[in-house]
This record gives sequence, structure tokens and C-alpha cells, in this order.
Amino acid sequence: MRAESPALRLSGLRKSFGRPAVDGLDLTVRRGELYALLGPNGAGKTTTLRMVTGLLAPDAGDVEVLGIDLARDPAGAKRGMAYLPDDPLLYGKLKPTEYLEFVAGLWGISAQDAEPRARRLLDWLDLTKHAHELTEGFSRGMKQKLALAGALIHEPELLILDEPLTGLDAAAARQVKDLLVSHVEQGGTVILTTHILEVAERLAQRIGIIRAGRLIAEGTLAELRERTQGGSLEDVFLHLTEGQPG
Amino acid sequence: MSAAPGSIRWLLGHELRLAWFGAAINKGGKRRPGWGSIAVFTVGFVGMHLVAFALLRALGPGGRGDPLLAIPISLVVIACSTFMLSSSLRACVLALFERGDLDLLLSSPLPSRSIFAVRLLGIAAVTALPYVYLAGPFANVALVLGHPGWLGLYVTIISCATLMACAGMLLTLALVRVLGARRTRVVAQVLGAIAGALIFLLSQFSNFTRHDGNVGPRIMEMMTHQSLFGPDSMLWLPGRAVLGAPLPLVGAVLLAGLAFALTVARTHRFFVHGLQQAAGMGRARARPAGALRFRFRGSLFDTVVIKEWRLIARDPHLIAQVLLQLIYLVPLLFLVMRGDSAGPALGAGLTLLCSSLTGSLAWIVISAEDAPDLLLSAPAPRRTLQLAKLAAATMPALLLVALPLLWLVVRTPLMGLLVAFTVSAAVLSAGLIVQWTGRPAPRSDFKTRGKENFLCTMLELVSSLCWGGLGWLLVALATEGAGWMLPAAAAALTAGLLVLLLARMLRRRPV
Repeated sequence: MRAESPALRLSGLRKSFGRPAVDGLDLTVRRGELYALLGPNGAGKTTTLRMVTGLLAPDAGDVEVLGIDLARDPAGAKRGMAYLPDDPLLYGKLKPTEYLEFVAGLWGISAQDAEPRARRLLDWLDLTKHAHELTEGFSRGMKQKLALAGALIHEPELLILDEPLTGLDAAAARQVKDLLVSHVEQGGTVILTTHILEVAERLAQRIGIIRAGRLIAEGTLAELRERTQGGSLEDVFLHLTEGQPG
Repeated sequence: MSAAPGSIRWLLGHELRLAWFGAAINKGGKRRPGWGSIAVFTVGFVGMHLVAFALLRALGPGGRGDPLLAIPISLVVIACSTFMLSSSLRACVLALFERGDLDLLLSSPLPSRSIFAVRLLGIAAVTALPYVYLAGPFANVALVLGHPGWLGLYVTIISCATLMACAGMLLTLALVRVLGARRTRVVAQVLGAIAGALIFLLSQFSNFTRHDGNVGPRIMEMMTHQSLFGPDSMLWLPGRAVLGAPLPLVGAVLLAGLAFALTVARTHRFFVHGLQQAAGMGRARARPAGALRFRFRGSLFDTVVIKEWRLIARDPHLIAQVLLQLIYLVPLLFLVMRGDSAGPALGAGLTLLCSSLTGSLAWIVISAEDAPDLLLSAPAPRRTLQLAKLAAATMPALLLVALPLLWLVVRTPLMGLLVAFTVSAAVLSAGLIVQWTGRPAPRSDFKTRGKENFLCTMLELVSSLCWGGLGWLLVALATEGAGWMLPAAAAALTAGLLVLLLARMLRRRPV
């Protein structure tokens, strides 16, 4: 893992399901930043994230995670990253403690390291009092928080989240946002997709907007505003995604 | 004439329409059975008429009208009743805990009594249908042959199914009251499995007792000579109802009607209460925060195996299925303990059962993985994950038969080793076939897994038969040694390996 390399570098990434879903995407995310990937429905955001995390093989292009080529060393690349899908599937018949034990086992974390982290995460996300319940009875927000705890148990340098705030109540959303900010403050990198533009506006250091599988704009909020002479991120987003041909 | 929306008839129509959609294979988004299924169903029905014709003709006019025929028919009706109770218990668990439409129905202005009555009628109909399909042709053919009394068969089946539906519902609701919703779901399914296997176990009774004092024949003698079991006994009323005797027929209808009316009138409120409990059963009481305990494991292999076994142990569907298979194992265990000449059957039986058990577990562990994305996005070696899952699926069956096999090896070493070989081969093949050809599916599809992946099911079945056949042949070869058995055993071994090779060639590649 090379310290000078970016957290994520995508070059010429392509994936087609009959029609192109991701069409020659080039993207670089620096270490220690919170990057928001925005785009309308069907723009290719989730497909991109699934290729980055090794869940989907690209038709063409390269994915480099923390300086490691995903195709050449998938295990090495995955070791430093965590992925939280938009609808995380937990094991309904496991308890949160057992779920965290399992995830820690997948990432090969020793019991000495995993246990204090698991306790801290459950406590931080207000799940300790539910630690002995089966997750099948959890609300959407509790499931999302537990999946986030699972994603953080191996202290990943790169955290990738697909719509992490969908369906969360205000308190849970605040907890998740605080956790993401804290992760970046401690030197970690966060890439997230969201439809809640206010979240990107307030949290993201840089924003990328994709449409029809291509990156059509990228920069800080100020840079994007300047480029489009728009007001809010919503104005910028609508201007860019509705004003250009796909 | 269409029923008024919200009426019992309208609701019953909705229930039957859903049952009809549920009969579809669910392939390619179809929600109704296709023409192929309907054709197979029709051919089977015509075939049953031919079978009925052959059997009833063989009985002759005197035999068809013989009052003593009521005795074997009654025994069949009693046997079928246990199966009906088993399916009605399953249907009640489904109605209470798994169908997602009751929240909608109960929040509508429809009276809960109507909803409960229709649901109970639906359970009775679903319970009766297979028996009407299989036994109905006998009534039809008997009518053509001049015995209209046999139409009582339809009435008897429907009455019996209604009675068993009521018994199943009362039992399930009683369990909810005593045990709570969470435990009821498991216990009701286990009871259903036991009820389904009851007749099989009773049929093995004479086998268990054959070696010493002729207990089986003595019981048969008692049944034929004692007045309780004599030709005029009340026990044979179901048979007389089938043959069209008016009083037993009226009695069956009255009994079923009374049971239905009483069940609906007395328990519909508790049905709603049971549903409310079921809705909240995902939640368990939280323990104090101080009791937080972790058991992180040293190896990935152990972590995966423990996780899979936890999921299996907490899955009531699987527990019921496994228990049913274990029940069928009980008579085989008696054969092992007795060590008599039933060796070939034992070899085949143990092999088939272990193969079937492993196939079910492998489907749960491999195909029904709840979080495949989590496994794929982890840096864990895929090979280790696959090996751990295979071990999690195969080890229970091997552990289960380890003790009987050890006993067998001690008593008759050659037979024990041969059976151990075929059991191991069958278990490993079943696991590998699912690993190579299984398709991802939600855990809730367990009951319909055979329909969803026909190729995998067929490979599993043929593999089981090959290894089971080999088990029979090898043990027979070791004990009797007929000349034709050696090439037959070689053929079974080759076929088993070829099936495995075919599964390997057809294995699914990762995306």
C-alpha cells in the first residue's frame, strides 16, 4: 500500500448490461477526503461502486484502491476498504455481536483488536442494548447502523457507502454523518453516493457528478457553483444533469 | 355472478386465486401454472382413472360392494388424516406467520370472523385437494361401474380435511398461547413433520419387534378377533362413509361442520391475537448492557462454519425438514442395533438419507447465502469460504450417522466400512453438486428450491440414487455375493462419478 497514491483511481472504467452503464469513467479520490458521487437514477453510481469493491468485474478499465490494482491483488485491495450497500443484507438469525464476530473473521482481525472496536462501535451507534436481539427484528435504521459498524470493525482506510442515509430517522442520520466526519478527521477516506444533496453540500470536500456512466463535472462546491453560476448544489446538479445530452 | 366486494365469497375467491398463483413454477415471472404443468396434471389425472379402473375391476362386483372393504379403506383414511394434519399445521404456520397480507385484511373494515373463516376454509381446501386428485378417480370409476355410493369418498375427504384444518388451527393457536409466537413457529412445524411420519413409523412397528415374540402378528390377530376391531366396529365408520353408507356420511358432514363453526366462533379473536404476537416476534427482550460478550474465532474457516450452523439452528423451516428426515432414520437405527439380515436396505437407506439431508443443508448454506456482497467484498480467500461452507453443509449428516456407523463397523466391519464409504461419497457429492450448480436464492424459497433449479435438483436426485444403489449392491455383494452385483456396483459407481463430473462441467462461474 503506497502512501503517496490516491485512495481510489479509476481509469477508463466500462461496464455494459446490453447498454453502457459505466462508459469510460476516470476518477481520482485523494486520501483523507470525503467525496460525494452524485447523479440521477440510472447514472451508473452503484455499478461504479460495485466494480470498485470487486462485486462486479469491469468490461474494461482499471481500478486502483490505495495504490493496489484490484484486478491483480483483489484481497490486498479489499483489505483496506469497506463497502456499505444501499440496502445492506444482514443475517436475520444472527445477533449484532455475532454479526460483528463474523465480519471481523472475514477481514482476519484478531480477537484482541476486534473486541474493543466492536464494543466501541455498538456503543457509539447506540446498539449495545440491542446486542442480544436477532437482527430480523431490527428497524431499517438499526440495520443500517449495524452494517456500518460491520464496515468499520476492521478500521478501513477507504469507506465506500451507497446511499447511507436512505430511510434513517433524524437521530440515526446524525449519528452516521458524525461517524463519517470523524472517519475523515482521523485520516480516512469516504466515498458516498446520495440523493440528499444537502448532505453532499455540507459534508463533501469534493463532489463528482456522473450521468450516463460518465463524469460530467467534478470539484469543490464552490468550483461547481462557479462553473454553472448556480446557487445551491441542487441548482448546480439540475443544471448539469438536465442541461447536457447523455 | 361475481361476488360482492368484501363478502365471504369474494374473499374466498381471492384466497383461491392466490393458491392458484402459488401453484406456478415462478420461472420467468410467471404467476400461473403454465400449459406444460396443466398438461402433466391432466395426464396424471387420466392415469389415476386407469389405475382406479384396473383395481376396481380386479375387485369384481362382489368385492366392490363388500362391507368388509370398509376396514382397509378406513385404515387408509386414518393414515391420510395424519398427513392432512401435517399439511394443515404447515398451512396454519404459513397463514399465521408468513403470509404478509393479513395486516392489510385486518386493517380493512371486514369482520375478523369472516377473514378467519375464509382463511380456515382455504386451509381445508388446500389440505383436501391432493387427496381429491388422487382418490377422486376411484369414486368416478366406481360410479361408472354401478356403485354410486362411492361418491361418498368426496364427502369423506372434504369432511376429513375440514376436521384436520380445524385441529391444525386449534393446535397452532394453543401453542401460541402456551409457548408464545416465536416457539410456536418451530414446534408447530416439528409436530407437522412428526404427524406426517407417524404412519411410516407405525408401519415399521412389526419390523422393530419381529425378532423375538411375534408381537406384530399378535396385534394383527387381536385386531381381527377382538370386538373392538371386529367388522362392525365404530372404527371402520370412515370406510363406510367412503362406500356411501348414509349415517356415517351424515355424521362426517355434521362433525366437520360443527368443528368448523365452533373453531371460527370460539377462536377468531385469538387468531387476531396470535397474529399480533407473530408480528412482534422478531424482537426479543434485551439483556442488560453489561452482559455483552463476544467470541471472536481464530480462523476464517471456523468463523464461517459457526455462522452457518447458527443460521441453520435458528431456522424453524430447516429444523422441521431435518427432523422429518431424522424420523425416517429411526427404523434404520433399529436395524443397525439389531444387526439382522437387512444390511443392503440399511446401506441404501443411510446413504439416501444422508445425501438428501446434505442437499437440503447445502442449499441453505451455499445457495441461500443472505449477504453474498459481504463475502465478495471481503479479502477472505474464496477457496477457504467455499471449503468452510461445504464443511458446514456436510458435517451434520456425517456426525449424525457417525455413531450408528461405528456400531456397525464394530459388529460387522466389512459392511460398516462399505456403508461408510457410500455415505461419505453421497454426502460429498450432494454438497459439491449444490456448490457447483446451485443458484443464489432467498432462504424463504427453501420449499420451492426444486422447482427453481431443476438441473441441480435432478443432479442431486440421480447422484443420491447412484450412491444409494451402490450402498445396497456393495453390502449385498459382501453378504450374498450374486454374480450380477459386481458389474452393477461398478455401473452405479461410474454413474455417480459421471454425475459429479457433469456437475463440475456445468458449474456456475462468478460474475
